[in-house]
Amino acid sequence: MARKKSRPINPRSGIPLTRDEYRQLKRQKEREDRRRRQEAWEAARGPMDMPFLILALMLLGIGLIMLLSASFPSAQSSANLKNDALYFFKRQGFFAVVGIGLTLAVSKINYERLRGLATLALYGSLGLLVLVVIPGPNKYGRLLALGENGAARWLGIPNTTFTFQPSEVAKLGIIIYFAESISRKKEKMKSFREGFLPHIIPLAAMVLLTLIEPHFSGAVLILGIGAAMMVVGGIHWGWIAFGAGGLGLGAYLLFFTEAIDNIFKAINYNASRLMVWRDPFGGDLEFRRSHAWQTIQSLYAIGSGGLLGVGLGKSRQKFGYLPEAQNDYIFAVVLEELGLVGGALIMVLFALLIIRGFWLAIHARDRFGSLLAVGVTTQIALQTFLNIAVVTNFMPSTGISLPFFSYGGTALLIQMVEVGIVLSVSRQIPAPKAR
Amino acid sequence: MTGKPRQPQEAAAPKKKKSKQPNSSRLATRVIQRRTLALLLVFGVGTFLALFGKAYDLTIVQHNQLQDGASSQQMRSTVISASRGSILDRNGVTLAVSASADTIFIDPNAIQKYADQLDKARAQKLVDGLKDGEKLPMSGQEYKDLLASRLSEILEIDPQKIYDNMAKTNWMYAKLKERVDKDVSDKVREFITDNETGASLQGVHLEADSKRYYPRSSLASHVIGFLDGDNQGAYGLEALYNEELEGTAGLTVTAKEAGGSEIMFQYEQYYDAEEGHTIVTTIDSTMQYYLERGLEDMTAEFGAKNGACGIMLDPKTGAIYAIASTPNYDLNSPREVYTERLKTQLAETDEENPPEEGSEHSDAYWTLLGQMQNLQWRNKAVNDGYEPGSTFKTLTLAMAVEEGVATLNSSYYCGGFLTIDTWDIHCSNKNGHGQQTLEEAVGHSCNPAFMKMALGVGSATFYDYLEQFGLFAPTGVDLQGEGTGVFTDRKTFCSHDIDLAVYSFGQRFNVTPIQLITAQAACINGGYLYQPYVVEKELDVDGNVVKQHDSTPVRQVVSEETSALVRECLEYVVSDGGGKNGQVTGYRIGGKTGTADKGDTGDVVVSFMCFAPADDPQVIMLLAMDTPARQDVTGVFVSGGNYVAPTASKIMADVLPYLGVSPQYSEDNQTAAEGTVPYVVGMTKDEAAEKLSSYGFASYRVIGDGETVTDQTPAGGAIVPTGAEIILYMGAEKSNELRTVPNVVGMSADEANRALVNAGLIMKATGSSGRGTRAISQSLASGTEVSAGTVVTVQMGAMTNIAD
Repeated sequence: MARKKSRPINPRSGIPLTRDEYRQLKRQKEREDRRRRQEAWEAARGPMDMPFLILALMLLGIGLIMLLSASFPSAQSSANLKNDALYFFKRQGFFAVVGIGLTLAVSKINYERLRGLATLALYGSLGLLVLVVIPGPNKYGRLLALGENGAARWLGIPNTTFTFQPSEVAKLGIIIYFAESISRKKEKMKSFREGFLPHIIPLAAMVLLTLIEPHFSGAVLILGIGAAMMVVGGIHWGWIAFGAGGLGLGAYLLFFTEAIDNIFKAINYNASRLMVWRDPFGGDLEFRRSHAWQTIQSLYAIGSGGLLGVGLGKSRQKFGYLPEAQNDYIFAVVLEELGLVGGALIMVLFALLIIRGFWLAIHARDRFGSLLAVGVTTQIALQTFLNIAVVTNFMPSTGISLPFFSYGGTALLIQMVEVGIVLSVSRQIPAPKAR
Repeated sequence: MTGKPRQPQEAAAPKKKKSKQPNSSRLATRVIQRRTLALLLVFGVGTFLALFGKAYDLTIVQHNQLQDGASSQQMRSTVISASRGSILDRNGVTLAVSASADTIFIDPNAIQKYADQLDKARAQKLVDGLKDGEKLPMSGQEYKDLLASRLSEILEIDPQKIYDNMAKTNWMYAKLKERVDKDVSDKVREFITDNETGASLQGVHLEADSKRYYPRSSLASHVIGFLDGDNQGAYGLEALYNEELEGTAGLTVTAKEAGGSEIMFQYEQYYDAEEGHTIVTTIDSTMQYYLERGLEDMTAEFGAKNGACGIMLDPKTGAIYAIASTPNYDLNSPREVYTERLKTQLAETDEENPPEEGSEHSDAYWTLLGQMQNLQWRNKAVNDGYEPGSTFKTLTLAMAVEEGVATLNSSYYCGGFLTIDTWDIHCSNKNGHGQQTLEEAVGHSCNPAFMKMALGVGSATFYDYLEQFGLFAPTGVDLQGEGTGVFTDRKTFCSHDIDLAVYSFGQRFNVTPIQLITAQAACINGGYLYQPYVVEKELDVDGNVVKQHDSTPVRQVVSEETSALVRECLEYVVSDGGGKNGQVTGYRIGGKTGTADKGDTGDVVVSFMCFAPADDPQVIMLLAMDTPARQDVTGVFVSGGNYVAPTASKIMADVLPYLGVSPQYSEDNQTAAEGTVPYVVGMTKDEAAEKLSSYGFASYRVIGDGETVTDQTPAGGAIVPTGAEIILYMGAEKSNELRTVPNVVGMSADEANRALVNAGLIMKATGSSGRGTRAISQSLASGTEVSAGTVVTVQMGAMTNIAD
């Protein structure tokens, strides 16, 4: 191998540098790099936001206790789980511990490094979503996807019990991708070509793929997160007005007319859910047994709670009446056992966490950090709202889990990672100087 | 957006960095901050307010409603049934009692499953082949056949019914027979555990229940009443005191899982069962029996179309000894027609209207059955009003005496009618009774005399008395469906004399028998009006008295003296007046007969009120018979004295000794006195004669010529009239030949006695005595063959053509 040594050239003048000049330049460059790294390191070494961390840990702890309470009757009566009353609790506890470790680890990573992951996040998410929906010969009619209850939403690693939902991953994916992309666009976000189209297209693709799975609630969440980030990112007011108008019209049609019911009936899709939502106790016995059962049981549980609840651990509805007591309907058990007071306290903790999350977004060092925090916080807020709204029959039922409470390892781990990201953003917020 | 947080870098070095940072970048950052704040408000505050509102609505506003819903599915309550209390008569005789009984039901679903299992096993065996000596297992159909044949046999039901029930394979509960007795349910139990299948039967179950028994079947049926299909009182005391009798069922409430098993942490609540109370009535079942027997006989004898009713009560307390109404019914099967006459009529209906194909009876049958049920359940003594007629004169008499209008020395002239306003009101005796004393006027039941008494009392006072006697309101007796009387209003009544005149002899108004007897009791018991009642006390399960009836008089209507005079006059009615047929030998009876027209139909209600002993009444009785056959059928003049009084006499003849009232025999009816025949076998003739006479038996006859008495008729210990001739066998063989009872009806007492003695029988005369009395009935029908020395009771009376 010939080792041809070309001399460095002064970039301005094009004249090759002398050795001394070169060394001087190199040292100067190295100094600047070191200073920049030092600055970034120092910024990333700032204190993380304790209120956000503590709120998240409190919710995680309370969530675990409620999970134990809500899950033991079904675990104990399940022969599949070897009648182990602590089955769900132990698994969730394990994921919680791992999750806390992940949170702390992620919080130490300089979030700016996530910029590099943006493209991967987008295409990776899309790729996983595509993998789920590829038709195939397995018993769910898919090539790879696994499922339950007539919806193939899971991917698994062969020969292990590990499964996860690509839609969960996609939520994080869209947050990172949008944060990076939007933060670069600055005021160009206002424009249709550069601000709206480049975001709405991947978002629509993800939402569509999720709907195909089918995973309605997942699609709603992805759409909500993406839309919130686009709004915050600065898209034209017209789009916001358009979206808000559409949302308002939809809400109007749903709450005050039966137009949506009729459409659902016409296309023969889930019309019974709307009927249940409007009057769970109406209809005949068969209707109440097969369609409204879950909602009725949830309302019974919540109503039994009263002001102060029947007492921690003393829910009766969890004994086989309330399906998925440890999962989507865990908050019904919370309200039954702890009553309105206990339930409201937990809602306050969620509200504080969400407010703190947005507060951190507002104070973040740069737009990328802001948008990451907005995305994560919006996800937590949307899931909390939709879950409690479904449990209380404020909205028609759809399967949305409650962050930090509902049983589910992957979801919990991803939530803890997201908490870590927000904490990472919080580290780089400079302490306000006294004036 | 004033006061918004500063962008961090600006805060660090606002002026220096300004130039460094492009304008567009700063603007974009500001937009993000502003819009994030908006999201914060929406998601951090707005949504949670909405959720809190919804949670408040569910946990607080809808709390009760939702909790009830939850509880109803979570809680399992097990009923601890309380046993229903008994109904007793005044002496503790059980009239109604509950006993445990079982309801037999099958689980058609389980039977089908088991049958399928059997078929499968059988098919398997056929494939596998049988080992030596092994029997082919039963097939499913064989199993069903076994159940149908054996159960239908044990339960005495149609096997087809069992097949029909077994065919309902999606049912899990099909009743075969409700409340079967213990001996039957024991057979079912035995069949379940020990049968041809060699294993416990699948799908046949027993369910504990209770059954009500009425040991005296039809006795006091109108008082006691019966239960409906759910063991709830449907009628009578059973219904009126249902709550007390039923007790309170206890409950155990436990929380259960959706699957049905109990929730691990104990949630239990107990509510103790309270056993039903026992009701002790004032009814005396013996007296009730006498009354019912009398009414049945009377109804049958005179073909009373609308039946009869009677009340017997204690005039000194108002306690009802007996109350009955015909037609009667059997409490153990209240829905079946009880009386033979009605049964025949019902059967004829089906013949006249053939039932449609496939149905058991015609529609006319069911309609008639319903009418008959209502008829036999109706307690005429309490439910219905009637025009009392002359028995009401008791009250008129009491008023007149109390008001001083009538005294024992008053005299009344009857010219056969009396003119009131412009109306001539006739006496029953159109020729008039002439001049009469008060006693005679009462004895004659003379209408003009009573009209004069009433006119003396005056409309307003008379009307006040009606009210005082409690006729304007129900008596408040604790029986179901008490009716009320119908009277002219006070204003109309007082505006003229005609109402007063006809009221005086009990016409143109309605009272219920219970109202009338209550008022009559007040006339003869010293003047006190008592509320009649049938429930004496209520006992708890340990026999402690929970409630005791307090029999205090409602008010005093007339004085003791008046009452005494009324008794005297009424005793005269029976001893010398129109009520002679009500006499009971050896007892002083007071009474009053009555016949009232039912409008202008020619039908009447005949009645008789009597009480005894006349000087100190222990019991008062009112009998009334609605629409008896007319004279052309019976050959007897229709009157209370002829139709009802003899029955009253018979009943009283049984009731008075039962009540412990000792008879007083006067010279001329000494023969009616009874004595216990002494045991004289083994004595010499003289010893026997002496012994007999010391027991009051004067006449005896000797058969045979042996030294000692070898046998006697009647046997020692028998109670016979002391006038009877005792036959002493002195060595001669006592004849075992049966004697034929002769027909003595229509004979005088002497003739009847002679005829019976000739037949070797002993006569016991009851009823009235004196001139013109004839035997009107005999206890053993003529032609009956009985052994020698049997006592035949002969009811004496005089069938007169004197109206009441």
